[in-house]
Amino acid sequence: MKMTQVAVIGAGPAGLAAAIEVARAGGLVTVIDENARPGGQLFKQIHKFFGSREHRAGVRGFHIGEQLLAETERLGVEVLLDSPVYALFPDRTVGYVHGGREIFLKAEKIVIAAGAAENPLAFPGSTLPGVMGAGAAQTMINVHRVLPGKKVLMIGSGNVGLIVAYQLMQAGADVAALIEAATQIGGYGVHAAKIRRAGVPIHLSHTVKRALGKDHVESVEIVALDSHWQPVAGSEKILGVDTVCVAVGLTPLTELAWLMGCEFAFVPGLGGHVPKHDLNMETTVPGVFIAGDISGVEEASTAMEEGRLAGTACAEALGLLDGQKALELKTVIRERMNALRTGPFGEGRRRAKECLIGLSLEGQA
Amino acid sequence: MAENRETIYICRCEEVTREEIEQAIRDGATTIAGVKKRTHAGMGLCQGRTCRKLIANMLACSRDPANILPSTFRPPVRTVRIDEIAQGDEE
Amino acid sequence: MKSGIKYTGIPSEEELRASPGAPSRERLEQGPVAFIECVQDIPCNPCEEACPFGAITVGEPITNLPELHGDKCTGCGVCIAQCPGLAIFKVHLHYTETTSLVEFPYEYYPLPRKGDRVPCGDRQGKYVADGRVVSVKNAKAHDGTAVVGVEVPKACYLEVRTICRKEWSRHG
Ligand code: SF4
Ligand code: SF4
Ligand code: FES
Repeated sequence: MKMTQVAVIGAGPAGLAAAIEVARAGGLVTVIDENARPGGQLFKQIHKFFGSREHRAGVRGFHIGEQLLAETERLGVEVLLDSPVYALFPDRTVGYVHGGREIFLKAEKIVIAAGAAENPLAFPGSTLPGVMGAGAAQTMINVHRVLPGKKVLMIGSGNVGLIVAYQLMQAGADVAALIEAATQIGGYGVHAAKIRRAGVPIHLSHTVKRALGKDHVESVEIVALDSHWQPVAGSEKILGVDTVCVAVGLTPLTELAWLMGCEFAFVPGLGGHVPKHDLNMETTVPGVFIAGDISGVEEASTAMEEGRLAGTACAEALGLLDGQKALELKTVIRERMNALRTGPFGEGRRRAKECLIGLSLEGQA
Repeated sequence: MAENRETIYICRCEEVTREEIEQAIRDGATTIAGVKKRTHAGMGLCQGRTCRKLIANMLACSRDPANILPSTFRPPVRTVRIDEIAQGDEE
Repeated sequence: MKSGIKYTGIPSEEELRASPGAPSRERLEQGPVAFIECVQDIPCNPCEEACPFGAITVGEPITNLPELHGDKCTGCGVCIAQCPGLAIFKVHLHYTETTSLVEFPYEYYPLPRKGDRVPCGDRQGKYVADGRVVSVKNAKAHDGTAVVGVEVPKACYLEVRTICRKEWSRHG
């Protein structure tokens, strides 16, 4: 059996950041990811990030990914790719598959940074080719350089919907409209303003009624919603589009944390059921940490900070960092993280996070 | 179930429609596992990654969403070929 | 329909007037100046660091709205490409007797060329007037965000914020 000090599951921003902190402290760390490339969703983020200089604001997401990879390489972090983790065992053994074989890795600490999956939307025609997650469309245009379609309807006005709509236009597609069931735009106004300037209408209080087409989406029917979220009869409109992108939120991928027996809390503001964790990102199962979207869906910048926190806490728990030094590092990370969770957009998440951590600490007392 | 323009698939892997899930709920399913047992929704290739949330939303119409837990996870939680894990660890 | 950035994706006149990032009418009269259209408290401050003259401040917490100090702003336009929200513009009201100059960030291909006549659009992409491209800046430091300057009739300096891409390509 393979051995390591820290096993990190997921080579996205959170996982890589965690691994870097462990390696920096001199720990032996192994990152395992099911994809062929490390970086998680960072390599499809071609837009410039927000935040401040410490958060690498103004730098495009994929450049941040490149920097993280260079750092992992420089520190000699082992990154195992094409290796889906299919099981975790109570003695902190990780079961994964690589090259058609099952391999077990025994670790002293585990960081689960498995990310999140796009929420689906079911409507008549939602299984027609041409209906896809916005994240999938983003991967197509920015990683694989293929246009999913010529004319797109975007569903959902969170930052994902707004950003992907913009990037689809940059890639050469036409975005017919963006619809949102809620009564206001969910994401940043500056992102919305970009697509408005490009002439894309945003219809609030609207939903999709059905997608039509024989073997592929040929058009889509949208309908207005009243204040009780009920369709307004007679308000239906048909849009001629060949692609429908769904950006209605993400759900944390928590299977592995359930398997480990972590306690969960239900926090709608974070995407549903999330593992309870303390200020060090440690779950209710000693030695098992989480970081990134699995602990509540947020931005890549916050995911990286959570990863750094979990990595630092692992290093401390392994005796690689003394308490004083670890506290200093963690304080700086927490301050940066809180800066990202201020303002009308971050406030809700900060409160949801505090509630989650509060619940977790209560359980321990 | 006959497919028409209005058919909504909740579990696309197992082709389970909205009506079938509603029927399962009327028949007494109160959990994701209950719906799964009655309809096979969630037993497909993606192992419920796609439909779990939709089923939870449907159950939430009659129950507090906080109490709708996913059905028990057992390894393998990812799609792997059975011969890959049947061989065991040879390292 | 309700107006305002949360409902339309376009900052309303009131929001712009109330925002500390928009220059005063007097300042606009005096010469080229940055016009910051960032009206929500988001965690972001690269504009503050980008300005070599200290004419933009965000401060702590970083969700503060960026404040433009008109007296310090030289209208150099350096901040435009550094804003990840593409929310900073530059306006030179009295570019000539009859025209104004508006600079805006532009991240689409093909880029226009100096001298091109382009249909210019407002904040909802609606055609306002034809303009003449006077500059296309796309330095390495811009990291892909080009800054396009167009000369437009004076009356529309507050409206023009982009090129109507679709109409333009149709013109060929
Ligand atoms: S235009 Fe130049 S001087 Fe004015 S705020 Fe921008 S960077 Fe500063
Ligand atoms: S950089 Fe742009 S988006 Fe960020 S605070 Fe400044 S003006 Fe607003
Ligand atoms: S959609 Fe239900 S199992 Fe895949």
